Amino acid sequence: MDVLFFFEWLDTSLLAQISKAYGGVFAVVQMFHLLSLAMLGGMVLVGDLRLLNILMTSVSSEEVIDNTQKWFTVALTVMIISGIFMSSAVAMKLYYNEMFWAKMASLGFGIAFVYLIRRPLLKYDHDTINPWTLRLLALASITIWFTVAASGRWIGFS
Amino acid sequence: MLNEWLLAFARWLDTFSWSTQLHESYYMYAWIESTHVLTLMVFLGMLCVIDLRMLGLIFPKVPASVIAAKLDKPMMIGFAVMIITGFILYFAIPVRSTQSIWFRIKVVLLIAAGINALLFRNRMRASTDTWDLDRVPPKRIRVGAGLSLALWSGVVVTGRTIAYDWYDCHKELPFFMYWVAGCVDEMASYP
Repeated sequence: MDVLFFFEWLDTSLLAQISKAYGGVFAVVQMFHLLSLAMLGGMVLVGDLRLLNILMTSVSSEEVIDNTQKWFTVALTVMIISGIFMSSAVAMKLYYNEMFWAKMASLGFGIAFVYLIRRPLLKYDHDTINPWTLRLLALASITIWFTVAASGRWIGFS
Repeated sequence: MLNEWLLAFARWLDTFSWSTQLHESYYMYAWIESTHVLTLMVFLGMLCVIDLRMLGLIFPKVPASVIAAKLDKPMMIGFAVMIITGFILYFAIPVRSTQSIWFRIKVVLLIAAGINALLFRNRMRASTDTWDLDRVPPKRIRVGAGLSLALWSGVVVTGRTIAYDWYDCHKELPFFMYWVAGCVDEMASYP
């Protein structure tokens, strides 16, 4: 399915008019995007490093996962909303940018991984889950979110 | 006087062939900048968890001192890599960075955030015994955590805006702005 029509609409939308005309507004929204990225990274790392038994080993992994998941969702929501605003400033350029689509693919994969695999699995008592499953889950999670962040940064270089 | 010294230092750095090579190297510069931004996730991510705990918004059942102690090391590793890559990025573009108003504000905010972190840490260590298990720490600790998040937000936004040329020296600016940005030559020839 070609989504060109969405990018053409976004390019002429009110969001695009604001993001293109007011550099200051764009910079502030970008700040929220980067801060939410940092928060998301923090929650992913704290949760996954706990599953790998590297960080916060004196706290139960259920407690760590339960606390980090809430803030992960907050960070992801802010990141997506601010990301849409930022995209509106260069919508057509992004549509033809391969790295942007790499980021979108990894982001989509990451969201599906978190809400369809990681969370449902970690709802169970962690002692009943094979330790290697937990380790693989953590490593996959770190890799996916690192890819999202790295491909996002690389959009600016491509 | 300070502006002249800073500019002279930046111009001296600019004479190194490595500085130019790094700036003109597409992949090396991009990799260093990406590392700088990605370690922001590690450093600021850990800091977010610590500050949110001090604000009473996360890990309410875990003692605040445990969160601070356990996340301190990965946070400092992230900070060290961020500072090293930051210096390399400055070395690659020394003159423009020195004359960037955003870079200057970023450095001031970095120093302020550092002082706040030091004061915050001392204040926390001196008083943790009385509130360590409280779900919401005392007001003075929450203020310190809020200030920390605000200052680092400022560092992030000014770091990002360095890329914009809104107030670069080649633009027509008021004398005050030339002074703040350290545009020594433009100040000398200002009408």
